[in-house]
Amino acid sequence: MQGDNRTTTFANKIHPNEQLVPTHCSYCGMQCGMNLRVDKSTNKIIGVEPRYDWPVTLGKMCPKGVTAYQQTNHKDRLLRPLIRDDASLKGTKDGFREASWDEAYSLIVSRFQALQRQYGKDSLSVFSGVSMTNEKCYLTGKFARVALQTRYIDYNGRFCMSSAAAGFLRTFGVDRGSTLPWTDLHETDCLFIAGSNTAECHPTSMFRVWEVQNRGGYLIVADPRETPIARRADVHLDLRPGTDLALANCMVNLLIRSVRIDKEFIAAHTNGFEELKAIVESFTPEYTSEITGVAPEKLIRAAEIYGKAPNAIVMFARGIEQQTRGADNVSAYTNMCLVTGKIGRPKAGVATFTGQGNGQGGREHGQKSDLLPGYRKLTNPKHVEEVCKVWGITPEEMPQPGVSAYEMFELMDQQTIRGLYLLCSNPAVSAPNQNFVREALRHLDFMVCSDIYLSESAEYADVVLPSVTWSEDEGTVTNLEGRIIKINKAQEPLGESKPDWLIEVELAERMGRGQYFRHLKTARDVADEFRLATKGGYADYYGATWDKIDRQNGVFWPCRDEADTGTPHMFLDHKFYHPDGKAKLCALPYRPPAEEPCEQYPLRLTTGRVVYHYLSGNQTRRIPFLRDMCPEPYVEVHPETAALYGIHHDEVVRLYTRRGEALYKVKIIEAIRKDTVFVPYHFGHEQSVNLLTIDALDPMSRMPEFKVCAAQIGKLPEGAVVS
Amino acid sequence: MKHHLYIEMDNCIGCRSCLAACTQCGGHEERNRNYVYDVDPLVSRQTIPLMCLHCVNPACARSCPAQAIQITDEGVVLSALVEKCIGCQNCTLACPYGIPKFDQEQNLMYKCDLCYDRTKEGIPPMCASVCPTNTLQWLTDEQLAAKQSRHALGQWTASEPYNPLEGMTNVKISLPGILQGKQKLF
Repeated sequence: MQGDNRTTTFANKIHPNEQLVPTHCSYCGMQCGMNLRVDKSTNKIIGVEPRYDWPVTLGKMCPKGVTAYQQTNHKDRLLRPLIRDDASLKGTKDGFREASWDEAYSLIVSRFQALQRQYGKDSLSVFSGVSMTNEKCYLTGKFARVALQTRYIDYNGRFCMSSAAAGFLRTFGVDRGSTLPWTDLHETDCLFIAGSNTAECHPTSMFRVWEVQNRGGYLIVADPRETPIARRADVHLDLRPGTDLALANCMVNLLIRSVRIDKEFIAAHTNGFEELKAIVESFTPEYTSEITGVAPEKLIRAAEIYGKAPNAIVMFARGIEQQTRGADNVSAYTNMCLVTGKIGRPKAGVATFTGQGNGQGGREHGQKSDLLPGYRKLTNPKHVEEVCKVWGITPEEMPQPGVSAYEMFELMDQQTIRGLYLLCSNPAVSAPNQNFVREALRHLDFMVCSDIYLSESAEYADVVLPSVTWSEDEGTVTNLEGRIIKINKAQEPLGESKPDWLIEVELAERMGRGQYFRHLKTARDVADEFRLATKGGYADYYGATWDKIDRQNGVFWPCRDEADTGTPHMFLDHKFYHPDGKAKLCALPYRPPAEEPCEQYPLRLTTGRVVYHYLSGNQTRRIPFLRDMCPEPYVEVHPETAALYGIHHDEVVRLYTRRGEALYKVKIIEAIRKDTVFVPYHFGHEQSVNLLTIDALDPMSRMPEFKVCAAQIGKLPEGAVVS
Repeated sequence: MKHHLYIEMDNCIGCRSCLAACTQCGGHEERNRNYVYDVDPLVSRQTIPLMCLHCVNPACARSCPAQAIQITDEGVVLSALVEKCIGCQNCTLACPYGIPKFDQEQNLMYKCDLCYDRTKEGIPPMCASVCPTNTLQWLTDEQLAAKQSRHALGQWTASEPYNPLEGMTNVKISLPGILQGKQKLF
């Protein structure tokens, strides 16, 4: 497989003495194809070469992708396990000493077992992430439930994809982030994109987005900021943060009023139209304009374009999902596709921009507090039985559902949870209401952190385990299309670092649960058991063998057996996954965000991303090019708002909310609403905007409301010294 | 040239992937050789790349007293030859677009060579390869002609018709506004 594709021969002309390993980027859900350049004499990764023949991205990469290879042999890599004996140093980088794996494992096992003896099995918890392969995500779920025997496992997808998942499950009965492949995007006639800063967060989608306009199609963007994609939109719906549900209801209302709906489709393939119609009726352009701040004529024009478009795709991302009504927003925007019948065919449908590299696959296979592999439910006895058979345990041994990511911190604070095994995540930057979360981490009796670098969260750990980067292991990832792809190994693990699946197998052995894990000797062994565990589930990966993935440039799930080539387009037969085969039109009344502006906190604070950084920045802040381009956070303020406060460009101000405060440089730009300020969230310690964000959760998806809370700007006293 | 670098300014999102990728080309010593500018940062997020346009009759080469700047048969204006460059920096002043950069330590000019070690083998330059937005494209004559007829931008020079300072360039650019007058599908 390696070395035989067109790209490799073609590019090797200019890279003699190197092997090109075809793989995908380590970062976002786009999973851009790339070749890692490996020096044949040192067997080390030394660079990147475009992978022109990867059909989704055609060799294109954003600056994160181009420099991703620099993570592998970075000077900050953890090479040996670290132990900190002095717990009073928690929350700092100090006091760690290098240790052998043996010593680290022994300490972890003795402390974990002591906690479980004293406080019960559920005193331990696992907090994981989805920037790792399906195999690792799968095994982490099994590790928590079978090796540690705890109910408390959840993951950083709660801060990312959980609202999309909950919304799609309610509407369709299945959660595949995109109903169609990305190679359809540029061929549609209208893109309706809400709450996605696509140009910065999924840059390699952009050539397809612009192509829609080049062909004479339309681009509609809903965003409080005039982002680089909104700048060129045919209609920019510049709504107040947190008011998406009103906007989506208005769109559906206008589609119904102008009879740009597909009555036959509605009757044959959906439930709930009359209730929906009754709810959205009051969302006239004028009323909606009052709530959202968007001019009525823009609302009317947007609905007209979407309604007239022969084919259209509704897309959204964290902007609409990281709200207390996130799941509702997802269902409400998806209503647009269903009432118009613009779904279940090529070039028309709905998609969410998956944030993390394996945000799709990682949420399907049992890292979530209530889910088991194959998108099975822990509350369904039949599902539990199916998974127990693969794992070799009895249904009685299967732990009960736990709680969501943020709620785990609440349990740590209450000392219900006393031990934490953290991997592939950095909640000391990425969780909301950081003052509370950091205190909860400090409260833990014992914490283990597995990471490639000493992250902000690792600073709270007693033991830090060195894991490998994506380039030092192999496995599958499911990209934002729902396409299962293969990550290839390009280099042996640096130092004594190990892949997380191996760490979990070795820890399970020492926890006395080796009989359930010791047959897993390679990543492929894990993959084989993983596929079997998904067999018969909603997210069925059984037929997605590594060979098939190589042969056909990825496999879209569901892929049920050897003969099945996968499912690029969902719902082509207009059969949805609810028992009656129909999709559910959701009638959703509007409610404002948890915290509205008031006299004391008159501004709306929204948070987001920049093109140069990924998630908590633990990886990208260490890459020289990316750090140079965006070394620190800032607060974006409209010039009229800045004038009101008497602050100027580059001045440092205090930004504060009911939960916390931080100092930021002001970046003045007209491309933001006057009532809104924006801070990128990729930074840690005292720079973290999550010191300010609210911990209000979506009741369905348990997603925190990162995207809106009430804030105030304070001018620093004259002559204040800012470090 | 069988292929041309073509720049569609309107597509730029300011990700600077072109600059990151520039450092990855074999002969570039991990230094990027081009520019991306914020057009009006206090107002909008519009950005534009400024790449060497590889002038047919380049001012940088004409200004060089040491004839250190070579032009290949394909029309690529190369970096100064190490053995000839005297470090006078005439080229950095002569270029109307401010392209050539100067390495103070080595006393040597360096600039975009259109990834010559790639392009001479028929492989696209790094910047156009990775550009996520198709701001930078690597086009055949036919593809370029199709673009030209679509955008009707005349001579494809940077400064005509007012003052044809440098005349023809091998790299073609389409200034912002490509969607003006676009016939919509519906």
